[in-house]
Amino acid sequence: MPPMNQQHIFHELDKTMNALKDSVLLMASLTRQNLERSVNALLNRDIDLARSVIGDDTEVDELEMKIDQIGMDILLRFHPVATDLRLVITSMKMAHNLERISDHAVNIAKRAKKICKSSEAIETTIIEPLYTKAEKLLRDALLAYTDANPELGQGLKPADAALDAEHKQVIAMLSGRLENAGPRAENLLHLIFVARSLERIGDLSVNIGEDSVFLSEARDIRHEHRKSPEAGESQD
Amino acid sequence: MVSESTETAAVRIENLRFAYGEKQVLHDVTMDIPARQVTAFIGPSGCGKSTLIRCINRINDRIPSARVTQGSILVHGIDIHRPDIHLQELRRRVGMVFQKYNPFAKSIYENVVYGLRIAGVKKKSDLDAAAENALRSAALWDEVKDRLHTSAFGLSGGQQQRLCIARVIATEPDIVLMDEPCAALDPLATLKIEELITSLKEKFTIVIVTHNMSQATRCSDRTAFMYLGNLVEYGPTMQIFEKPREKQTEAYITGSFG
Repeated sequence: MPPMNQQHIFHELDKTMNALKDSVLLMASLTRQNLERSVNALLNRDIDLARSVIGDDTEVDELEMKIDQIGMDILLRFHPVATDLRLVITSMKMAHNLERISDHAVNIAKRAKKICKSSEAIETTIIEPLYTKAEKLLRDALLAYTDANPELGQGLKPADAALDAEHKQVIAMLSGRLENAGPRAENLLHLIFVARSLERIGDLSVNIGEDSVFLSEARDIRHEHRKSPEAGESQD
Repeated sequence: MVSESTETAAVRIENLRFAYGEKQVLHDVTMDIPARQVTAFIGPSGCGKSTLIRCINRINDRIPSARVTQGSILVHGIDIHRPDIHLQELRRRVGMVFQKYNPFAKSIYENVVYGLRIAGVKKKSDLDAAAENALRSAALWDEVKDRLHTSAFGLSGGQQQRLCIARVIATEPDIVLMDEPCAALDPLATLKIEELITSLKEKFTIVIVTHNMSQATRCSDRTAFMYLGNLVEYGPTMQIFEKPREKQTEAYITGSFG
């Protein structure tokens, strides 16, 4: 994690900061796991795995609350400044973003469960390229955060744009098939929602990347395309 | 009288009233101060917090006309106003550190062993060991071990205050009272004292009066808020500062005291 290796005179602050960092790391790894397992449940028609993803989300929810509580305690007790302050703020934002990503994993698992129960066969591998892109984005965002690598953190936009483009294609393809789908329509709709969740995970990963830049360099790069007139024009 | 206490409270204050002459400054204060924790007293100037902690080792006795008019204070179950209480022994068990560091005009070493010499310890090896022990506990040993026999006044303010803490803990008290111990120190020296306070609570019960609320949040386990001689609210520090129950406490800690 960021330049936090220097010890504070007040050791209690180090101890509490470490507890905060450990909780964020644990939450990040659980969230990644949940996403991976939810997609595996879908691709392998594994209903038990889908159920366990849905059940394990409680742990992520509890970690979100724990991180907020530790963060608030640190703000209250130690009045952190500079890197310390940014670490507390970004940890709390990380927890929020991770919780939402894990919620999307739960959504995917719920759709997987429904698809598993249906007797109609469906080509679930259609969403696999989307998952590969979303998973890579999440992994890079988390790496940017844990390794204090702002270059990686601010370079996620193109990968997210590629994910968005892929998402559009997949939705178009699935919608096209809907018309004559008959009884398979329901499963196609489930897949559309899965695709939507994966696309959102990309956006949330970009948020985490932006937070990692703020943590390392105290630079707020959110909404930068709006500030730059050239970028604004090109989007019009 | 055999006084056996199974309580975990180091200090029990019951319905304490205290007056300077006709002026009553503490009104029916009742509280337990737990052993081996840090208890902080906060409140505006003149609210009675210093008076209250100075009751615990009866140092107020030295002020003419100052007296407890009602109630009692038990230290580890023993009523400190009992006629057979030996004041010197009480103050050895309940040591005190003041706002303005006040080392004696002696060497660093003689400051630390002062209380032990009064208590009759004569053997040099005992005094040496106690001095090193106390200075280590006060996180001062490494800074002064090569100049133990030079004047205490050659130390920085923060070091002098840590020397005063070493002097108190050399006599192995149960309780250490600290009346604004960092008021005269810069922020870094303050942090060092706060770090020291949190390490000392393993061995001692610490009671600290502070005007610095962030100091209370950093290093205390329990906080008592006093106002106009009343104990308004007393509880775990995080609860007091996160969700105080009393409006007066909320107003004071948020700085909206009217």
